[in-house]
Amino acid sequence: MERLSRLADIPIRLEAAPADGGLGGGVTALLTELATLLERFAVAQESAAIDLRSLPMGPQDRVLLQRALGEGEVRATIDAEGVSTIRETRIGGVWWVEHRDRDGELIAELLEVTRVPAILASAPDEIAAGGRALREQIAATAAHAPLPPVRNLDVGAR
Amino acid sequence: MDLLGFARGPALKVALAVFCLGVVWRIVGFVLLRIRRDLNKPRASALRYLGSGLLAVGTRSWPHREFIARTGPGEALGYSYHIGLFVMVLLFTPHIVFIGGLLGFTWPGLPSSFITVVSVLTLTLFLAVLFRRVTHPVIRMLSNFDDYFSWFVTMLVIVTGLAATAHLGARYETLLGLHILSFDLLLVWFPFGKLMHAFYLVPSRAINGALLARKGAVS
Amino acid sequence: MTHGRVELLGEVLLRHGISRRSFIKYCTAAASTLALPPGMGAVMAEQLRQAPRPSVVYLSFQECTGCLESLTRSFSPTIESLIFNTISLDYDDTLMAAAGEAAEAARTKAMKDSFGKYVLVVDGSVPTGAGGGYCTAGGRSSVDILREAAKGAAAIVCVGTCSAFGGIPLADPNPTDAWPVGAIVGDKPIINVSGCPPIPEVITGTLLQFVTTGKLPDLDQHRRPKAFFGNTIHDRCYRRPFYDQGKFAKSFDDEGARNGWCLFELGCKGPTTYNACATIKWNGGTSFPIESGHTCIGCAEPGFWDKGSVYSALSTAAWGKSGESRPLEVLELGGAAATVGAVIGAGSAGMSRLRQHRAEHPSNNEPKDG
Repeated sequence: MERLSRLADIPIRLEAAPADGGLGGGVTALLTELATLLERFAVAQESAAIDLRSLPMGPQDRVLLQRALGEGEVRATIDAEGVSTIRETRIGGVWWVEHRDRDGELIAELLEVTRVPAILASAPDEIAAGGRALREQIAATAAHAPLPPVRNLDVGAR
Repeated sequence: MDLLGFARGPALKVALAVFCLGVVWRIVGFVLLRIRRDLNKPRASALRYLGSGLLAVGTRSWPHREFIARTGPGEALGYSYHIGLFVMVLLFTPHIVFIGGLLGFTWPGLPSSFITVVSVLTLTLFLAVLFRRVTHPVIRMLSNFDDYFSWFVTMLVIVTGLAATAHLGARYETLLGLHILSFDLLLVWFPFGKLMHAFYLVPSRAINGALLARKGAVS
Repeated sequence: MTHGRVELLGEVLLRHGISRRSFIKYCTAAASTLALPPGMGAVMAEQLRQAPRPSVVYLSFQECTGCLESLTRSFSPTIESLIFNTISLDYDDTLMAAAGEAAEAARTKAMKDSFGKYVLVVDGSVPTGAGGGYCTAGGRSSVDILREAAKGAAAIVCVGTCSAFGGIPLADPNPTDAWPVGAIVGDKPIINVSGCPPIPEVITGTLLQFVTTGKLPDLDQHRRPKAFFGNTIHDRCYRRPFYDQGKFAKSFDDEGARNGWCLFELGCKGPTTYNACATIKWNGGTSFPIESGHTCIGCAEPGFWDKGSVYSALSTAAWGKSGESRPLEVLELGGAAATVGAVIGAGSAGMSRLRQHRAEHPSNNEPKDG
């Protein structure tokens, strides 16, 4: 008898994936919830998210979910204490967000229903601070070597 | 000390002591009673009529053909819940471990989910038994405190056991504590009520059978 | 330190190289662990960034330092340990660089500056024997230090079973007359994060939740956060199917044990122990005692050291000093009871015989029955 002492070693019989287009029950429920959230956004502009780690998902379910949602046009990575990946799915407004720590361990995974996940946007205070910082940088570089004068791009001068 | 600690500890110790004391008291009590000397000539040799007695334990386990229509359902009900009780008590691993801890040996058990099914069936049969006792005019007339209390005490153990398994009504350790405490109550009541039939059944059938065989009547 | 204005946590984080986005990320992960709605992570992050830097005073009394080790030896240095160690911790005699009177001065200053607002974290029980002399620091007993520190605390978080319930020092015979923190301080909100030690994420998750909301989380009757202590190990154990199927390991390293079967017969206290070990697990989700093949000893429960042998199953009888009942003890008890019973039985049979004898042979003084 082989040693079976880890969860991963216990043989799991995966139910055969349904024919193309078919989905398991759990994934269908998830997709139904996403559809509801999308409809609610269309009416009330309310963003929402589903925590994928809180749902019991077997390996087969993940594959089915990825297949059902597909890949969109946008793919973004955030490098902040580890890499986070944000992918737009084929379904407009549904974003698949994966947060990983410095060791590459997945620490959070969400499906966000929104125009664009808030974490991507710059914060107003950061923008204000950025403006100040850029002015200071310009002043500092000007002190060492004067920048060439900015051309007067008058609209009628062409 | 919490409820569970009390139930498995001092309460259980006292209950077991009372159980042993009471059972031995009652058995010794009837074994040492005077046996009225039968001055008739025995119709069979001692070996035969004693052997007949032991056989009677088996032959009296089911009613004669003539009476089956009347008494069969009641007997079947009785047998069913007894079998259910034995399966629950003796083939559920936590119970086996409990008895093993007291006696020093264990035996294999059945899947726990199967035991849950049997327990629910037994619970239903127990309710049916009470219903019968209360609705059958003759049985109701014959019933006394002993009958109802013995039923109640056994029922309590079954109900608290199922509640504990299902986590129904309170935190698990409270339910488990109540289950063991109700078992303690059963142990204390056992020797003093009709639950003693567990020990009396075989001797009383054997003695009846032997006496009849001695008189020449075959049962 | 900025002059006059209170420094916000967001600014402190930035100074330590933790960007807004990394903080949002961390808070999202923490919200997931706390089973909060997913949007809460970003909300929490923003609230915390705009909040004044939370002050934490950590006091250690009669303890083995296991709880602090659990907290600081995170598997990978995560933001939570950074927040905890570097930013918030105004006093911890094990971790801080200062020692002696300088350290005590730091503690007094932190308590004064944040009076009424700091979170007091305590590990270790508090001995009251020998006038409190069994545990002293700087010439003062732990009882006094605790009472003084509790005065200005917004809340007290008892980390570990020792501070929450008394733990090892309180176990029989409790030679130092140790008490849990809750028995010494009665007028402050207390959160018990029990376990021997507790899971690091449970400690920091609880602290984070309190610091963000300013309110106590939902607590059970032992004042433990229900988010982490709401379910038993048994209810979340991956070996539960084996329990249901009746497949148990009979001894360590037997066939059943190697197949990962249920450890109930070996004494697992999973069914009566409430903790997050089966879900959050230890060492960054690596494993937990049952997954590693050993029974749960119930270390997050009050008085677990005095609840009988770790290796006797929950359904066994448990009286006697060691909490186990061996067959020999049972035999003695049964034998003694049976002997008494036999005597009483013989007595009652004797009385019956006596009555029958009297009925058949009435004495000369009594009138004969018709």
